[in-house]
Amino acid sequence: MVTADEALSREVQRGMTRQDIVKRAAALGIVVSAGTLGPLTEAAFARTQIKRGGTFRQATSGGTTDFIDGNHIVAKSDIVRLVATFDALARFDEKGKIQMHLAEELKAEKANQYLIRVRKGIEFHNGKTLTIDDVIYSIARTKNAKLKLFGNAAFGAIDLKRIKKLDKYTCRLTLSRPDVTLLEAFAQYFQGVVPKGYQPTAVGKGPLQYVGTGPFKVKSFTPGRESVHTKNANYWIDGQPYFDEVRIINFPSDAAKVNALLSGQIDAMADVPFAQVPVVKNRGRKILVSPTGAWTPLCMRVDVAPFTDVRVRRAFRLLINRPQVVRQGLSGYGFVANDIYSPFDPAYAGDEFPQRRYDPEQARSLLRQAGHSNGLDVELVTSPADTGMVEGATIFAQNAKAGGVNVTVRNVDGGTIYGDQYLKWPFSADYWGTRNYLLQAATGVLKTAPFNETHWDAYSGYPKFERLYRQALGTVNEKKRAEIIREMQRMEYNDGGLIIWGFKSLTDGYSQKVGGYKVDRGTLNLNKYGNGFRTIYFV
Amino acid sequence: MHGLTGFVVRRLLLGVLTLFVTSVIIFGATQALPGDAARSILGRSATPESLAELRRQLGLDQPVLTQYWEWISGVLTGDLGTSLANSLPVSDVIGEPIVYSLFLMVLAAVISVPLGIALGAVSARRRDSAFDQTTSVATLGLAALPEFVVGITLVVLFATTVFQWLPAVAVTEPGVGPWNYPKELILPVITLVIAVVPYTARIMRASTVEILESDFVEMARLKGLPERRVLWRHAVPNALAPTFQVTALNLAYLAGGIVVVEAVFNYQGVGLLLVDSVRARDMPVVQAVALLIAALYVILNLLADLATILVSPRLRTSLS
Repeated sequence: MVTADEALSREVQRGMTRQDIVKRAAALGIVVSAGTLGPLTEAAFARTQIKRGGTFRQATSGGTTDFIDGNHIVAKSDIVRLVATFDALARFDEKGKIQMHLAEELKAEKANQYLIRVRKGIEFHNGKTLTIDDVIYSIARTKNAKLKLFGNAAFGAIDLKRIKKLDKYTCRLTLSRPDVTLLEAFAQYFQGVVPKGYQPTAVGKGPLQYVGTGPFKVKSFTPGRESVHTKNANYWIDGQPYFDEVRIINFPSDAAKVNALLSGQIDAMADVPFAQVPVVKNRGRKILVSPTGAWTPLCMRVDVAPFTDVRVRRAFRLLINRPQVVRQGLSGYGFVANDIYSPFDPAYAGDEFPQRRYDPEQARSLLRQAGHSNGLDVELVTSPADTGMVEGATIFAQNAKAGGVNVTVRNVDGGTIYGDQYLKWPFSADYWGTRNYLLQAATGVLKTAPFNETHWDAYSGYPKFERLYRQALGTVNEKKRAEIIREMQRMEYNDGGLIIWGFKSLTDGYSQKVGGYKVDRGTLNLNKYGNGFRTIYFV
Repeated sequence: MHGLTGFVVRRLLLGVLTLFVTSVIIFGATQALPGDAARSILGRSATPESLAELRRQLGLDQPVLTQYWEWISGVLTGDLGTSLANSLPVSDVIGEPIVYSLFLMVLAAVISVPLGIALGAVSARRRDSAFDQTTSVATLGLAALPEFVVGITLVVLFATTVFQWLPAVAVTEPGVGPWNYPKELILPVITLVIAVVPYTARIMRASTVEILESDFVEMARLKGLPERRVLWRHAVPNALAPTFQVTALNLAYLAGGIVVVEAVFNYQGVGLLLVDSVRARDMPVVQAVALLIAALYVILNLLADLATILVSPRLRTSLS
């Protein structure tokens, strides 16, 4: 049975306007309006709009410390270049669901046993065919602690000695401990698959320096200036990518980027400052607003007075007017949070607990019970390292006065806040992207976390939290796992050291001549930079 | 001309001393900044172990004096060292930006110096006329504006909001000289010209006014020479000496002020490189760029003094 939508979608041809399609529909006896064609017809229409070829110009921040590596990033500029050049085994789609990518199959056979099978016939940029050996090499490379690569922590459960190659394309991993988050770890964009023997040393040195399987090959790279990427004609997804060339150009400031976008010298930029969004729109450029799970918490160190007292922590969580921060600090581009991270995790429970509201009276009474009847003086360290850090800290300081807390905001540069005192400040702001709950806990909350911000392990209830974490890692049944994760969130909601006031949206700008961007929940800007520039095109 | 040679040699030696002192100050300043290259390379994900390892690799664990000695002994043998940020040779890193910045400066100088001199001379000649009044107000007003305000205003006027005639920023390819981008150069050059012309015009006007009241100009007029000839043949050459001094200072100032202009227009010169390198705590590149700018100061001042001597007969004779 062919639906009207399906029948009409077959009639759509290149060069037709929406009006033409409506006319064609009328001839077929189908009633549609130009604004609401069926989903299949819309898709067919969108395909006819794609113009192949052209040079796409992406602006980025960054500087002379920029590099290109398949398994490592420091700045956003490194991310842009990575996603154009490398593919991972799996990927997150726009909704945050995991999709297979280089892997044909990637699944947990048991909580401590994974099977990986890669697709056949995929070529690296140097013509070499992708095999499981390259995947095993990439895992070993990320796990090599000496290389200090970004994804190292997430691969903690992998035991290199117990990786068994089954055939040219397949292997089985037996983990040293159960870990259900490994699938997510493999889907992180920075777990790019690199060819066996890949060993970058310095810029431009080594024959395998920039070799990946990604949609674009690196043609030239001048750190701090620009990189040029040419189309990978043998890319494994049919028809992609669309552009012939991508230029990734460094800019010293947001203002220069916005000006370049307005005068048509670049096609896309990440992070249009909120205040500039109307300007960019008025000039006919487009803004992609993506609500994400990115957050800029205020972190209280649980092992340092006065935050050792849970009543003080609870009081502080009542001393911030969350809607006000979202409205003023983020110009409304975000939504209010309830001290729990990972809003897109299927087990997220932050919206099940009572929403914390600004309540200076209650806070005052909690502080009195904790023995601070004359109020409190605290220093809050923040930095303009990411949007929301300074805004959240400043508004907290204003709000907290009514609760008898005198907050001195110390605004330092990124080099200082993330300097020798990082993770040691008693009370400080920080920033995070979108991650699911267990992975985030492993990265920033557990005693063993590389970024143990709040030192929650000093809290008497912590051993239970860690026990639940281990239990969740070993629970393959999603429903049961969600129950455990909910309990962990309840503990953090009641007694934790994080003040999470909101989640931020990304506001990215692009030229009206570009199509294909979708609203994305992920950490990365611009729909993961158009999925490594392979799903966007000129219209 | 023996005296003049001696003068130049003395000044050059003093210049070298100035550069040495500058290098010590810059080195001290980079040491005083919080954080170091290792931290900026590793970013937030730095751990104490990875920091220690990288510092060892980069030689940042050495005592400060040792680091300085290694750097300066390299410079004396013509080796500017290696960038800490991306391990490229410093000479490779700074080569193209130097060409970009010098080209921009020379272009700005070639336009602004004659323009400033002409404006100043004509204003002096028509003292208190409408032309003089307008020029005075305009130059004073423009002199008070910082370059970034001028730059951003020009961008708003000619590139983004009002008209879209010119590119707002310079998107240039590595390895392609700046002279291949005439359109991209227009706004940065105008910004620099606006930064320099007011000073040159003001000082030129003042010294020409003084000269026009002197006895020998009076004499020339009494002899019946046309006023145009009096101004350009007799007054202007004598008014140039102080103008040279101010112009040299201004051009030297450009070498530093160019940082702001380059940042506004994304122009790939030494200014942008300096900002980037300070952010990355890339000491060898910061040193090289800072020394370059200091050397430019020394040389421009020397040239200005020489030019002053050559246009002032009294000074010329006293030296020889």
